[in-house]
Amino acid sequence: MKAKKGFKLRNVCNENIIVADGIENIDFSRIISMNESAAYLWRNIQEQEFDADRLVSLLLEEYEIDEASARTDVDQLIVKWKEAGIIE
Amino acid sequence: MDCETRMMANEVFLPQVVQILNEGHTVTLPLRGRSMRPFLEDGRDKAILAAVKEAPRVGDAVLAEISKGHFVLHRIVKIKGDRVTLRGDGNLGTESCRIQDIKAFAIAFYRKGRNEPDSVKGWKWRIYSWWWMRLLPIRRYLLFAFHPHIPQRLLNKIKRK
Repeated sequence: MKAKKGFKLRNVCNENIIVADGIENIDFSRIISMNESAAYLWRNIQEQEFDADRLVSLLLEEYEIDEASARTDVDQLIVKWKEAGIIE
Repeated sequence: MDCETRMMANEVFLPQVVQILNEGHTVTLPLRGRSMRPFLEDGRDKAILAAVKEAPRVGDAVLAEISKGHFVLHRIVKIKGDRVTLRGDGNLGTESCRIQDIKAFAIAFYRKGRNEPDSVKGWKWRIYSWWWMRLLPIRRYLLFAFHPHIPQRLLNKIKRK
């Protein structure tokens, strides 16, 4: 998988929101926001191929959680990112 | 996907919106408050805002910081020198600010859940604006008549019969 180009993270009022580069209008009535750990993963998989294992190991490096729950979180996150259309 | 609505404090959020506008984006914001009724309804409608690029004029709906951290999206009713008087369409009273306190223009509105915005350059907004500003002397009665509780009360009465 790969992060689609041009989706930049941006902090607005302590919310990590995804803003598409080159998009003229930013619609705050429907915004993609990420929690701290998702934002951390997003920053670390820019411009590279990644898979679920890579995300799991990134999570384990940064947070004190067990691998099983990291994997559950990652699986859910990948589904959400796909639905949001920000990875391909 | 999970969707949730998050409310943000105007005094923190809107300065960041202004910054985004000044980077050249436009921004769509859900509207809160009843001060731009009857055209714009609280929680229902959205505004598209753009940075201030030209001189504001009477009749423009603008985002203004009328005091530190206090923003309103109201219509300009008077400009004298650098003093601007604003009045929400749903209000009777006015606010005033300086011309440099005008932070953004409303350029269009999404109303009634539609996907197509009504531009402030379009006939609908212009005709509404023309009438609404001229009807100011009887505005208090119009607002009362347009108040959502009135039709509701009538409906309830009919139902009871």
